[in-house]
Amino acid sequence: MGEKIMVKGTEAIGEAAIRAGCRVYFGYPITPQSELTEYMARRMPQVGGVFLQAESEVATVNMMYGASSVGARVMTSTSSPGFSLMQEGISYMACARLPGVFVDVVRGGPGLGDIQPSQGDYFQIVKGGGHGDYRLPVFSPSSLQEAVELTIHAFDVADKYRTPVVIFADGMMGQMMEPVEFPDPIDPSTLPSKDDWALTGAKGRKARYVTSFDIDPYKLEKMNLVLQETYKEIEKNEQKWEEFMTDDIEVLFVAHGTVGRIVKSAVKLARQKGIKAGLFRPISLYPFPYKRLSELAEKVDIVMTVEMSSGQMLEDVRLAVEGKAETPFYGRLAGVVPTPGEILEALMKELRR
Amino acid sequence: MEIKKNVAFVGMFGSGKTELAINYAVMLARREEKVALADLDFVSPYFRSRDKKGFLEELGIKVLVPPGKYIWADTPMIPPEVFGFLTNKEFRTVLDVGGEEDGVVVLGYLRAFLKDTTTFFVVNTRRPFTDSVEGIVNFYRKLETRAKVKFDYLVVNTNLAHETTEEIIKEGEEIVESAAKELGVPVAFTVVPSFLADCDCKYEKFIIDRYLELPW
Repeated sequence: MGEKIMVKGTEAIGEAAIRAGCRVYFGYPITPQSELTEYMARRMPQVGGVFLQAESEVATVNMMYGASSVGARVMTSTSSPGFSLMQEGISYMACARLPGVFVDVVRGGPGLGDIQPSQGDYFQIVKGGGHGDYRLPVFSPSSLQEAVELTIHAFDVADKYRTPVVIFADGMMGQMMEPVEFPDPIDPSTLPSKDDWALTGAKGRKARYVTSFDIDPYKLEKMNLVLQETYKEIEKNEQKWEEFMTDDIEVLFVAHGTVGRIVKSAVKLARQKGIKAGLFRPISLYPFPYKRLSELAEKVDIVMTVEMSSGQMLEDVRLAVEGKAETPFYGRLAGVVPTPGEILEALMKELRR
Repeated sequence: MEIKKNVAFVGMFGSGKTELAINYAVMLARREEKVALADLDFVSPYFRSRDKKGFLEELGIKVLVPPGKYIWADTPMIPPEVFGFLTNKEFRTVLDVGGEEDGVVVLGYLRAFLKDTTTFFVVNTRRPFTDSVEGIVNFYRKLETRAKVKFDYLVVNTNLAHETTEEIIKEGEEIVESAAKELGVPVAFTVVPSFLADCDCKYEKFIIDRYLELPW
Protein backbone atom coordinates (compact mmCIF):
# COMPACT_ATOMS: atom_id res chain seq x y z
CA MET A 1 0.00 0.00 0.00
CA GLY A 2 1.25 3.49 -0.82
CA GLU A 3 0.50 6.83 0.81
CA LYS A 4 -3.01 8.23 0.88
CA ILE A 5 -4.16 10.60 -1.82
CA MET A 6 -7.35 12.62 -2.42
CA VAL A 7 -9.42 11.22 -5.25
CA LYS A 8 -12.79 11.55 -6.88
CA GLY A 9 -14.80 8.35 -7.10
CA THR A 10 -14.34 8.15 -10.85
CA GLU A 11 -10.56 8.44 -10.43
CA ALA A 12 -10.53 5.89 -7.61
CA ILE A 13 -12.20 3.33 -9.86
CA GLY A 14 -9.99 4.17 -12.84
CA GLU A 15 -6.76 3.90 -10.87
CA ALA A 16 -7.93 0.68 -9.18
CA ALA A 17 -8.55 -0.84 -12.62
CA ILE A 18 -5.03 0.01 -13.71
CA ARG A 19 -3.63 -1.48 -10.50
CA ALA A 20 -5.71 -4.60 -11.19
CA GLY A 21 -3.77 -5.01 -14.44
CA CYS A 22 -6.38 -3.56 -16.80
CA ARG A 23 -4.57 -2.19 -19.84
CA VAL A 24 -7.48 -1.80 -22.24
CA TYR A 25 -10.20 0.80 -21.76
CA PHE A 26 -12.92 1.86 -24.16
CA GLY A 27 -15.26 4.71 -23.30
CA TYR A 28 -17.64 7.39 -24.37
CA PRO A 29 -18.21 10.54 -22.29
CA ILE A 30 -21.41 11.05 -20.32
CA THR A 31 -22.03 13.03 -17.12
CA PRO A 32 -21.49 12.18 -14.24
CA GLN A 33 -18.78 9.69 -15.23
CA SER A 34 -16.78 11.62 -17.84
CA GLU A 35 -13.85 12.11 -15.44
CA LEU A 36 -13.29 8.34 -15.46
CA THR A 37 -12.89 8.39 -19.23
CA GLU A 38 -10.62 11.44 -18.94
CA TYR A 39 -8.57 9.78 -16.22
CA MET A 40 -8.02 6.72 -18.38
CA ALA A 41 -7.09 8.92 -21.35
CA ARG A 42 -4.28 10.41 -19.27
CA ARG A 43 -3.22 7.25 -17.41
CA MET A 44 -3.33 4.47 -20.03
CA PRO A 45 -0.47 5.91 -22.14
CA GLN A 46 1.63 6.23 -18.95
CA VAL A 47 1.34 2.48 -18.26
CA GLY A 48 1.60 1.33 -21.88
CA GLY A 49 -2.11 0.57 -22.10
CA VAL A 50 -4.79 1.30 -24.67
CA PHE A 51 -7.31 4.10 -24.30
CA LEU A 52 -9.84 4.39 -27.06
CA GLN A 53 -12.79 6.75 -27.21
CA ALA A 54 -15.45 4.91 -29.17
CA GLU A 55 -18.01 6.58 -31.42
CA SER A 56 -20.88 5.40 -29.20
CA GLU A 57 -21.72 3.10 -26.31
CA VAL A 58 -22.87 0.47 -28.81
CA ALA A 59 -19.38 0.49 -30.31
CA THR A 60 -17.81 0.47 -26.84
CA VAL A 61 -19.45 -2.76 -25.73
CA ASN A 62 -18.52 -4.51 -28.97
CA MET A 63 -14.91 -3.37 -28.55
CA MET A 64 -15.09 -4.89 -25.05
CA TYR A 65 -16.28 -8.16 -26.62
CA GLY A 66 -13.40 -8.16 -29.08
CA ALA A 67 -10.62 -7.30 -26.64
CA SER A 68 -11.93 -9.70 -24.00
CA SER A 69 -12.09 -12.59 -26.49
CA VAL A 70 -8.32 -12.37 -26.98
CA GLY A 71 -7.75 -12.46 -23.22
CA ALA A 72 -7.31 -8.80 -22.17
CA ARG A 73 -8.55 -7.35 -18.88
CA VAL A 74 -10.99 -4.78 -20.24
CA MET A 75 -13.13 -2.04 -18.75
CA THR A 76 -15.59 0.62 -19.76
CA SER A 77 -17.58 3.15 -17.80
CA THR A 78 -20.79 4.98 -18.54
CA SER A 79 -23.91 6.42 -16.99
CA SER A 80 -27.53 5.29 -17.21
CA PRO A 81 -28.60 6.08 -20.82
CA GLY A 82 -25.19 4.90 -22.03
CA PHE A 83 -25.58 1.63 -20.11
CA SER A 84 -28.96 1.11 -21.80
CA LEU A 85 -27.22 1.30 -25.17
CA MET A 86 -24.76 -1.42 -24.12
CA GLN A 87 -27.35 -4.05 -23.18
CA GLU A 88 -27.34 -6.09 -26.39
CA GLY A 89 -23.56 -6.44 -26.28
CA ILE A 90 -23.54 -7.31 -22.58
CA SER A 91 -25.97 -10.15 -23.22
CA TYR A 92 -23.68 -11.36 -26.04
CA MET A 93 -20.67 -11.21 -23.72
CA ALA A 94 -22.52 -13.10 -20.99
CA CYS A 95 -23.45 -15.90 -23.40
CA ALA A 96 -19.98 -16.02 -24.95
CA ARG A 97 -18.57 -16.17 -21.40
CA LEU A 98 -16.38 -13.11 -21.83
CA PRO A 99 -15.03 -11.34 -18.73
CA GLY A 100 -15.10 -7.53 -18.55
CA VAL A 101 -15.82 -4.82 -16.01
CA PHE A 102 -18.60 -2.27 -16.60
CA VAL A 103 -18.90 0.80 -14.38
CA ASP A 104 -22.33 2.44 -14.31
CA VAL A 105 -22.33 5.81 -12.54
CA VAL A 106 -26.10 6.00 -12.26
CA ARG A 107 -27.96 9.29 -12.74
CA GLY A 108 -31.58 10.41 -12.53
CA GLY A 109 -33.98 8.92 -15.05
CA PRO A 110 -35.93 7.59 -16.83
CA GLY A 111 -35.23 8.94 -20.31
CA LEU A 112 -32.63 11.63 -20.64
CA GLY A 113 -33.35 12.33 -16.96
CA ASP A 114 -30.82 14.59 -15.25
CA ILE A 115 -27.21 14.42 -14.07
CA GLN A 116 -27.84 14.05 -10.33
CA PRO A 117 -27.18 10.80 -8.37
CA SER A 118 -29.73 7.97 -8.48
CA GLN A 119 -30.18 4.24 -7.87
CA GLY A 120 -33.14 3.97 -10.22
CA ASP A 121 -31.35 1.53 -12.54
CA TYR A 122 -31.32 -1.33 -10.01
CA PHE A 123 -33.69 -3.50 -12.07
CA GLN A 124 -31.68 -2.90 -15.22
CA ILE A 125 -28.28 -3.56 -13.69
CA VAL A 126 -29.14 -6.33 -11.23
CA LYS A 127 -31.92 -8.19 -13.02
CA GLY A 128 -30.43 -7.89 -16.50
CA GLY A 129 -31.21 -5.15 -18.97
CA GLY A 130 -30.44 -7.33 -21.96
CA HIS A 131 -32.18 -10.40 -23.39
CA GLY A 132 -31.92 -14.03 -22.38
CA ASP A 133 -31.17 -16.14 -19.30
CA TYR A 134 -28.09 -14.44 -17.92
CA ARG A 135 -27.02 -12.77 -14.70
CA LEU A 136 -24.21 -10.32 -13.91
CA PRO A 137 -22.34 -10.07 -10.62
CA VAL A 138 -22.94 -6.50 -9.35
CA PHE A 139 -21.02 -4.69 -6.61
CA SER A 140 -22.18 -1.45 -4.98
CA PRO A 141 -19.54 0.57 -3.05
CA SER A 142 -20.38 2.94 -0.22
CA SER A 143 -17.00 4.67 0.17
CA LEU A 144 -14.18 5.39 -2.22
CA GLN A 145 -11.80 3.02 -0.41
CA GLU A 146 -14.40 0.30 -0.93
CA ALA A 147 -14.77 1.35 -4.59
CA VAL A 148 -11.06 0.66 -5.04
CA GLU A 149 -11.28 -2.77 -3.41
CA LEU A 150 -14.44 -3.76 -5.29
CA THR A 151 -13.04 -2.68 -8.66
CA ILE A 152 -10.02 -4.92 -8.21
CA HIS A 153 -12.28 -7.70 -6.94
CA ALA A 154 -14.58 -7.23 -9.96
CA PHE A 155 -11.74 -8.09 -12.36
CA ASP A 156 -10.94 -11.25 -10.39
CA VAL A 157 -14.59 -12.34 -10.32
CA ALA A 158 -14.95 -11.58 -14.04
CA ASP A 159 -11.94 -13.75 -14.90
CA LYS A 160 -12.74 -16.54 -12.44
CA TYR A 161 -16.28 -17.13 -13.73
CA ARG A 162 -15.75 -15.74 -17.23
CA THR A 163 -18.55 -13.21 -16.96
CA PRO A 164 -19.10 -9.47 -17.32
CA VAL A 165 -19.28 -7.75 -13.89
CA VAL A 166 -20.82 -4.38 -13.01
CA ILE A 167 -19.73 -1.74 -10.51
CA PHE A 168 -22.95 0.05 -9.54
CA ALA A 169 -21.85 3.53 -8.48
CA ASP A 170 -24.53 6.15 -8.08
CA GLY A 171 -23.55 9.66 -9.20
CA MET A 172 -22.51 10.66 -5.69
CA MET A 173 -19.98 7.79 -5.52
CA GLY A 174 -18.61 9.00 -8.84
CA GLN A 175 -18.27 12.67 -7.91
CA MET A 176 -17.41 12.80 -4.20
CA MET A 177 -13.82 13.14 -2.99
CA GLU A 178 -12.15 11.20 -0.18
CA PRO A 179 -8.66 10.19 0.91
CA VAL A 180 -7.87 6.72 -0.42
CA GLU A 181 -4.97 4.29 -0.19
CA PHE A 182 -4.25 2.17 -3.27
CA PRO A 183 -2.73 -1.31 -3.14
CA ASP A 184 0.48 -1.99 -5.06
CA PRO A 185 -0.14 -2.55 -8.77
CA ILE A 186 -0.44 -6.06 -10.16
CA ASP A 187 1.93 -6.84 -13.02
CA PRO A 188 -0.45 -7.87 -15.84
CA SER A 189 2.00 -10.56 -16.97
CA THR A 190 1.51 -12.39 -13.63
CA LEU A 191 -2.29 -12.75 -14.03
CA PRO A 192 -3.69 -16.28 -14.47
CA SER A 193 -3.47 -17.46 -18.08
CA LYS A 194 -6.57 -17.50 -20.29
CA ASP A 195 -4.88 -19.72 -22.88
CA ASP A 196 -7.42 -22.50 -22.31
CA TRP A 197 -10.23 -20.48 -23.93
CA ALA A 198 -9.02 -17.13 -25.32
CA LEU A 199 -8.36 -16.54 -29.02
CA THR A 200 -4.59 -16.51 -28.83
CA GLY A 201 -3.83 -17.87 -32.32
CA ALA A 202 -4.40 -21.47 -33.47
CA LYS A 203 -0.79 -22.22 -34.37
CA GLY A 204 0.03 -25.70 -33.03
CA ARG A 205 -3.49 -26.35 -31.72
CA LYS A 206 -7.02 -26.82 -32.96
CA ALA A 207 -8.84 -23.61 -33.92
CA ARG A 208 -11.49 -22.42 -31.46
CA TYR A 209 -14.12 -19.74 -31.55
CA VAL A 210 -15.91 -17.48 -29.10
CA THR A 211 -19.59 -17.02 -29.85
CA SER A 212 -22.99 -16.42 -28.30
CA PHE A 213 -24.76 -18.36 -31.04
CA ASP A 214 -25.81 -21.91 -31.85
CA ILE A 215 -28.53 -22.63 -34.40
CA ASP A 216 -29.12 -26.05 -32.79
CA PRO A 217 -31.43 -25.50 -29.78
CA TYR A 218 -30.09 -28.58 -27.96
CA LYS A 219 -26.54 -27.28 -28.22
CA LEU A 220 -27.64 -23.77 -27.24
CA GLU A 221 -29.42 -25.25 -24.24
CA LYS A 222 -26.13 -26.89 -23.21
CA MET A 223 -24.40 -23.51 -23.43
CA ASN A 224 -27.20 -22.09 -21.27
CA LEU A 225 -26.80 -24.83 -18.69
CA VAL A 226 -23.10 -24.02 -18.36
CA LEU A 227 -24.11 -20.45 -17.58
CA GLN A 228 -26.66 -21.60 -15.01
CA GLU A 229 -24.07 -23.80 -13.29
CA THR A 230 -21.74 -20.78 -13.17
CA TYR A 231 -24.45 -18.64 -11.55
CA LYS A 232 -24.99 -21.31 -8.88
CA GLU A 233 -21.30 -21.11 -8.04
CA ILE A 234 -21.41 -17.31 -7.98
CA GLU A 235 -24.43 -17.36 -5.66
CA LYS A 236 -22.61 -19.78 -3.36
CA ASN A 237 -19.27 -17.94 -3.24
CA GLU A 238 -19.63 -14.26 -4.00
CA GLN A 239 -22.14 -12.76 -1.56
CA LYS A 240 -20.91 -9.64 0.23
CA TRP A 241 -22.58 -7.39 2.76
CA GLU A 242 -21.91 -5.13 5.75
CA GLU A 243 -23.80 -5.10 9.04
CA PHE A 244 -23.82 -1.88 11.06
CA MET A 245 -25.00 -1.90 14.72
CA THR A 246 -27.11 -5.02 14.22
CA ASP A 247 -26.23 -6.84 17.49
CA ASP A 248 -29.25 -5.64 19.48
CA ILE A 249 -31.62 -4.48 16.74
CA GLU A 250 -35.32 -3.72 17.11
CA VAL A 251 -35.61 -2.26 13.62
CA LEU A 252 -33.46 -2.90 10.58
CA PHE A 253 -32.70 -0.64 7.64
CA VAL A 254 -31.55 -2.04 4.28
CA ALA A 255 -29.72 0.31 1.89
CA HIS A 256 -26.84 0.10 -0.58
CA GLY A 257 -24.22 2.46 -2.01
CA THR A 258 -24.38 6.13 -1.03
CA VAL A 259 -27.72 5.58 0.68
CA GLY A 260 -26.09 2.92 2.87
CA ARG A 261 -23.75 5.61 4.07
CA ILE A 262 -26.54 8.12 4.71
CA VAL A 263 -28.56 5.51 6.61
CA LYS A 264 -25.62 4.97 8.97
CA SER A 265 -26.17 8.56 10.12
CA ALA A 266 -29.91 7.86 10.41
CA VAL A 267 -29.14 4.78 12.56
CA LYS A 268 -27.06 6.95 14.92
CA LEU A 269 -29.87 9.55 15.11
CA ALA A 270 -32.40 6.80 15.87
CA ARG A 271 -30.18 5.42 18.63
CA GLN A 272 -29.96 8.89 20.21
CA LYS A 273 -33.76 8.66 20.49
CA GLY A 274 -33.48 5.24 22.12
CA ILE A 275 -34.56 3.26 19.04
CA LYS A 276 -32.28 0.29 18.52
CA ALA A 277 -31.82 0.60 14.77
CA GLY A 278 -29.25 -1.14 12.60
CA LEU A 279 -28.27 -1.34 8.94
CA PHE A 280 -27.86 -4.25 6.55
CA ARG A 281 -25.94 -3.04 3.51
CA PRO A 282 -25.81 -5.45 0.57
CA ILE A 283 -22.49 -4.98 -1.27
CA SER A 284 -23.11 -7.69 -3.87
CA LEU A 285 -26.53 -6.90 -5.36
CA TYR A 286 -26.27 -10.03 -7.45
CA PRO A 287 -25.78 -12.41 -5.76
CA PHE A 288 -28.11 -10.75 -3.25
CA PRO A 289 -27.36 -11.88 0.33
CA TYR A 290 -30.87 -13.30 0.91
CA LYS A 291 -29.94 -15.81 3.58
CA ARG A 292 -28.21 -13.42 5.99
CA LEU A 293 -30.95 -10.81 5.60
CA SER A 294 -33.54 -13.50 6.26
CA GLU A 295 -31.76 -14.41 9.55
CA LEU A 296 -31.68 -10.77 10.67
CA ALA A 297 -35.35 -10.27 9.74
CA GLU A 298 -36.29 -12.82 12.41
CA LYS A 299 -35.07 -10.46 15.14
CA VAL A 300 -37.23 -7.45 14.17
CA ASP A 301 -40.75 -6.34 13.33
CA ILE A 302 -39.73 -3.74 10.76
CA VAL A 303 -37.24 -4.05 7.89
CA MET A 304 -37.21 -0.66 6.20
CA THR A 305 -35.63 -0.27 2.76
CA VAL A 306 -34.25 3.12 1.69
CA GLU A 307 -33.22 3.82 -1.89
CA MET A 308 -32.75 6.62 -4.39
CA SER A 309 -35.46 4.91 -6.44
CA SER A 310 -39.16 4.09 -6.22
CA GLY A 311 -38.41 0.78 -4.47
CA GLN A 312 -36.50 -1.63 -6.68
CA MET A 313 -34.10 -3.39 -4.32
CA LEU A 314 -37.20 -3.54 -2.09
CA GLU A 315 -38.35 -6.57 -4.12
CA ASP A 316 -35.19 -8.48 -3.18
CA VAL A 317 -35.58 -7.42 0.44
CA ARG A 318 -39.14 -8.81 0.46
CA LEU A 319 -37.93 -12.09 -1.08
CA ALA A 320 -35.45 -12.37 1.79
CA VAL A 321 -37.82 -11.31 4.58
CA GLU A 322 -40.64 -13.63 3.38
CA GLY A 323 -43.30 -11.87 5.47
CA LYS A 324 -41.43 -12.31 8.76
CA ALA A 325 -41.49 -8.53 9.32
CA GLU A 326 -43.16 -5.44 7.93
CA THR A 327 -41.24 -4.11 4.92
CA PRO A 328 -41.93 -0.39 4.51
CA PHE A 329 -40.02 1.76 2.04
CA TYR A 330 -38.63 5.28 1.84
CA GLY A 331 -37.17 6.66 -1.36
CA ARG A 332 -36.34 9.82 -3.27
CA LEU A 333 -36.43 9.93 -7.05
CA ALA A 334 -34.84 11.63 -10.04
CA GLY A 335 -31.56 12.61 -8.43
CA VAL A 336 -32.78 13.89 -5.05
CA VAL A 337 -30.57 12.58 -2.22
CA PRO A 338 -32.40 11.72 1.02
CA THR A 339 -31.13 13.18 4.31
CA PRO A 340 -30.66 11.25 7.58
CA GLY A 341 -33.40 13.41 9.18
CA GLU A 342 -35.91 12.52 6.47
CA ILE A 343 -35.11 8.82 6.83
CA LEU A 344 -35.53 8.94 10.61
CA GLU A 345 -38.86 10.73 10.20
CA ALA A 346 -40.04 8.01 7.79
CA LEU A 347 -39.07 5.37 10.35
CA MET A 348 -40.86 7.22 13.19
CA LYS A 349 -44.02 7.27 11.07
CA GLU A 350 -43.84 3.48 10.69
CA LEU A 351 -43.25 3.01 14.43
CA ARG A 352 -46.36 5.09 15.26
CA ARG A 353 -48.58 2.96 13.04
CA MET B 1 2.43 39.96 -2.69
CA GLU B 2 0.24 42.23 -4.75
CA ILE B 3 -3.38 41.14 -5.02
CA LYS B 4 -5.53 43.06 -7.45
CA LYS B 5 -9.20 43.96 -7.20
CA ASN B 6 -10.38 40.63 -8.59
CA VAL B 7 -9.03 37.13 -8.00
CA ALA B 8 -9.36 33.93 -10.03
CA PHE B 9 -8.68 30.39 -8.82
CA VAL B 10 -7.63 27.86 -11.45
CA GLY B 11 -6.16 24.35 -11.33
CA MET B 12 -6.80 20.68 -11.88
CA PHE B 13 -10.02 18.82 -10.96
CA GLY B 14 -10.40 18.57 -7.21
CA SER B 15 -7.45 20.83 -6.40
CA GLY B 16 -9.67 22.84 -4.05
CA LYS B 17 -10.50 25.86 -6.22
CA THR B 18 -14.14 26.07 -5.20
CA GLU B 19 -13.49 25.70 -1.47
CA LEU B 20 -10.83 28.42 -1.74
CA ALA B 21 -13.02 30.73 -3.80
CA ILE B 22 -15.82 30.44 -1.23
CA ASN B 23 -13.43 31.04 1.68
CA TYR B 24 -11.83 33.98 -0.09
CA ALA B 25 -15.19 35.60 -0.79
CA VAL B 26 -16.26 35.03 2.83
CA MET B 27 -13.02 36.59 4.09
CA LEU B 28 -13.55 39.70 1.95
CA ALA B 29 -17.19 39.96 3.00
CA ARG B 30 -16.21 39.81 6.67
CA ARG B 31 -13.88 42.77 6.03
CA GLU B 32 -17.02 44.54 4.90
CA GLU B 33 -15.89 44.83 1.31
CA LYS B 34 -18.42 44.55 -1.52
CA VAL B 35 -17.91 41.07 -2.94
CA ALA B 36 -19.15 39.10 -5.92
CA LEU B 37 -18.45 35.38 -6.45
CA ALA B 38 -18.82 34.10 -10.01
CA ASP B 39 -19.28 30.35 -10.46
CA LEU B 40 -17.69 29.80 -13.87
CA ASP B 41 -17.35 26.03 -13.42
CA PHE B 42 -19.16 24.43 -16.33
CA VAL B 43 -17.17 21.21 -16.07
CA SER B 44 -18.13 19.71 -12.69
CA PRO B 45 -21.68 18.46 -12.30
CA TYR B 46 -21.69 18.49 -8.44
CA PHE B 47 -19.95 20.27 -5.55
CA ARG B 48 -19.90 23.75 -7.07
CA SER B 49 -20.00 27.17 -5.40
CA ARG B 50 -23.59 27.61 -6.65
CA ASP B 51 -24.55 24.90 -4.11
CA LYS B 52 -23.71 27.45 -1.37
CA LYS B 53 -25.57 30.38 -2.96
CA GLY B 54 -28.02 30.85 -0.07
CA PHE B 55 -25.29 30.84 2.57
CA LEU B 56 -23.12 33.29 0.60
CA GLU B 57 -26.00 35.66 -0.07
CA GLU B 58 -26.76 35.80 3.66
CA LEU B 59 -23.25 37.22 4.10
CA GLY B 60 -24.07 39.90 1.54
CA ILE B 61 -22.06 38.29 -1.26
CA LYS B 62 -23.42 38.70 -4.76
CA VAL B 63 -23.38 35.19 -6.27
CA LEU B 64 -23.23 35.00 -10.06
CA VAL B 65 -24.61 31.73 -11.44
CA PRO B 66 -26.52 30.63 -14.54
CA PRO B 67 -30.19 31.65 -14.39
CA GLY B 68 -32.98 29.52 -12.87
CA LYS B 69 -32.98 25.80 -13.52
CA TYR B 70 -29.74 26.04 -15.49
CA ILE B 71 -27.77 25.84 -12.26
CA TRP B 72 -28.30 22.07 -12.64
CA ALA B 73 -26.80 21.92 -16.12
CA ASP B 74 -23.23 21.16 -17.16
CA THR B 75 -23.32 23.41 -20.20
CA PRO B 76 -20.85 26.22 -20.94
CA MET B 77 -22.97 29.06 -19.60
CA ILE B 78 -21.32 32.25 -18.33
CA PRO B 79 -23.45 34.55 -16.20
CA PRO B 80 -23.50 37.80 -18.24
CA GLU B 81 -23.16 40.04 -15.16
CA VAL B 82 -19.58 38.80 -14.76
CA PHE B 83 -18.27 41.34 -17.24
CA GLY B 84 -19.83 44.19 -15.27
CA PHE B 85 -18.58 43.00 -11.90
CA LEU B 86 -15.04 42.51 -13.19
CA THR B 87 -14.88 46.16 -14.25
CA ASN B 88 -17.01 47.63 -11.44
CA LYS B 89 -14.53 49.45 -9.20
CA GLU B 90 -16.70 49.05 -6.09
CA PHE B 91 -16.75 45.26 -6.16
CA ARG B 92 -14.04 42.70 -5.41
CA THR B 93 -14.93 39.78 -7.70
CA VAL B 94 -13.84 36.19 -7.06
CA LEU B 95 -13.82 33.83 -10.05
CA ASP B 96 -14.31 30.12 -9.38
CA VAL B 97 -13.05 28.55 -12.61
CA GLY B 98 -13.67 24.94 -13.73
CA GLY B 99 -10.89 22.35 -13.62
CA GLU B 100 -8.23 21.31 -16.12
CA GLU B 101 -7.79 22.36 -19.74
CA ASP B 102 -11.51 22.39 -20.54
CA GLY B 103 -12.48 24.40 -17.48
CA VAL B 104 -9.85 27.09 -17.79
CA VAL B 105 -10.80 28.19 -21.34
CA VAL B 106 -13.34 30.56 -19.79
CA LEU B 107 -10.47 32.86 -18.77
CA GLY B 108 -9.49 33.27 -22.41
CA TYR B 109 -13.04 34.36 -23.16
CA LEU B 110 -12.93 36.94 -20.35
CA ARG B 111 -9.35 38.00 -21.14
CA ALA B 112 -10.13 41.59 -22.12
CA PHE B 113 -11.74 42.13 -18.70
CA LEU B 114 -9.01 40.58 -16.55
CA LYS B 115 -6.53 43.49 -16.30
CA ASP B 116 -7.43 43.99 -12.67
CA THR B 117 -7.34 40.29 -11.75
CA THR B 118 -4.79 38.17 -9.89
CA THR B 119 -4.82 34.50 -10.93
CA PHE B 120 -3.88 31.71 -8.52
CA PHE B 121 -2.97 28.20 -9.68
CA VAL B 122 -4.10 25.93 -6.85
CA VAL B 123 -2.16 22.72 -6.19
CA ASN B 124 -2.92 19.74 -3.99
CA THR B 125 0.15 17.52 -4.19
CA ARG B 126 -1.90 14.61 -2.81
CA ARG B 127 -3.91 14.53 -6.05
CA PRO B 128 -3.22 12.49 -9.20
CA PHE B 129 -1.11 14.31 -11.84
CA THR B 130 0.16 17.11 -9.53
CA ASP B 131 1.99 14.94 -6.99
CA SER B 132 5.43 15.84 -8.40
CA VAL B 133 7.34 18.92 -9.55
CA GLU B 134 7.24 17.58 -13.10
CA GLY B 135 3.45 17.12 -12.99
CA ILE B 136 2.79 20.59 -11.56
CA VAL B 137 5.07 22.31 -14.10
CA ASN B 138 3.52 20.35 -16.97
CA PHE B 139 -0.09 21.16 -16.09
CA TYR B 140 0.64 24.75 -15.04
CA ARG B 141 1.99 25.37 -18.54
CA LYS B 142 -0.77 23.42 -20.27
CA LEU B 143 -3.52 25.31 -18.45
CA GLU B 144 -1.82 28.66 -18.99
CA THR B 145 -1.63 27.97 -22.73
CA ARG B 146 -5.31 27.00 -22.83
CA ALA B 147 -6.36 30.00 -20.71
CA LYS B 148 -4.39 32.48 -22.85
CA VAL B 149 -3.77 34.34 -19.58
CA LYS B 150 -0.60 34.42 -17.45
CA PHE B 151 -1.11 33.02 -13.96
CA ASP B 152 0.40 35.08 -11.15
CA TYR B 153 0.92 32.75 -8.19
CA LEU B 154 0.99 29.16 -7.04
CA VAL B 155 -1.06 28.19 -3.98
CA VAL B 156 -0.19 25.22 -1.76
CA ASN B 157 -3.42 23.39 -1.00
CA THR B 158 -2.05 19.97 -0.14
CA ASN B 159 -4.70 18.18 1.92
CA LEU B 160 -6.48 14.92 2.68
CA ALA B 161 -9.67 16.62 3.92
CA HIS B 162 -10.16 15.66 7.60
CA GLU B 163 -7.04 13.52 7.55
CA THR B 164 -4.73 16.47 6.76
CA THR B 165 -1.73 16.81 9.08
CA GLU B 166 1.01 19.41 9.52
CA GLU B 167 3.49 16.96 7.92
CA ILE B 168 1.29 16.60 4.83
CA ILE B 169 1.08 20.39 4.44
CA LYS B 170 4.86 20.74 4.81
CA GLU B 171 5.44 18.00 2.26
CA GLY B 172 3.20 19.97 -0.15
CA GLU B 173 5.12 23.21 0.49
CA GLU B 174 8.40 21.48 -0.41
CA ILE B 175 7.10 20.14 -3.73
CA VAL B 176 5.32 23.36 -4.74
CA GLU B 177 8.37 25.42 -3.78
CA SER B 178 10.53 23.43 -6.22
CA ALA B 179 7.87 23.74 -8.94
CA ALA B 180 7.68 27.50 -8.28
CA LYS B 181 11.46 27.80 -8.78
CA GLU B 182 11.30 25.92 -12.05
CA LEU B 183 8.38 28.00 -13.31
CA GLY B 184 9.75 31.28 -12.00
CA VAL B 185 6.41 31.98 -10.34
CA PRO B 186 6.05 32.90 -6.65
CA VAL B 187 4.03 30.96 -4.06
CA ALA B 188 1.25 33.17 -2.69
CA PHE B 189 0.23 31.25 0.41
CA THR B 190 -0.42 27.87 2.00
CA VAL B 191 -3.98 26.78 2.68
CA VAL B 192 -4.47 25.45 6.21
CA PRO B 193 -7.68 23.93 7.57
CA SER B 194 -9.01 25.67 10.68
CA PHE B 195 -8.34 22.57 12.80
CA LEU B 196 -4.59 23.02 12.09
CA ALA B 197 -4.62 26.82 12.40
CA ASP B 198 -1.55 26.84 14.67
CA CYS B 199 0.63 24.77 12.38
CA ASP B 200 4.04 25.98 11.39
CA CYS B 201 4.23 26.89 7.69
CA LYS B 202 6.89 28.18 5.34
CA TYR B 203 4.51 30.51 3.51
CA GLU B 204 1.81 32.87 4.71
CA LYS B 205 -1.18 30.89 5.99
CA PHE B 206 -4.67 31.13 4.58
CA ILE B 207 -6.94 29.44 7.10
CA ILE B 208 -10.12 27.92 5.68
CA ASP B 209 -13.31 26.26 6.82
CA ARG B 210 -14.86 23.47 4.78
CA TYR B 211 -18.13 24.53 3.21
CA LEU B 212 -18.59 21.75 0.64
CA GLU B 213 -18.82 18.93 3.17
CA LEU B 214 -21.13 15.99 2.60
CA PRO B 215 -24.12 16.63 4.86
CA TRP B 216 -24.11 13.08 6.29
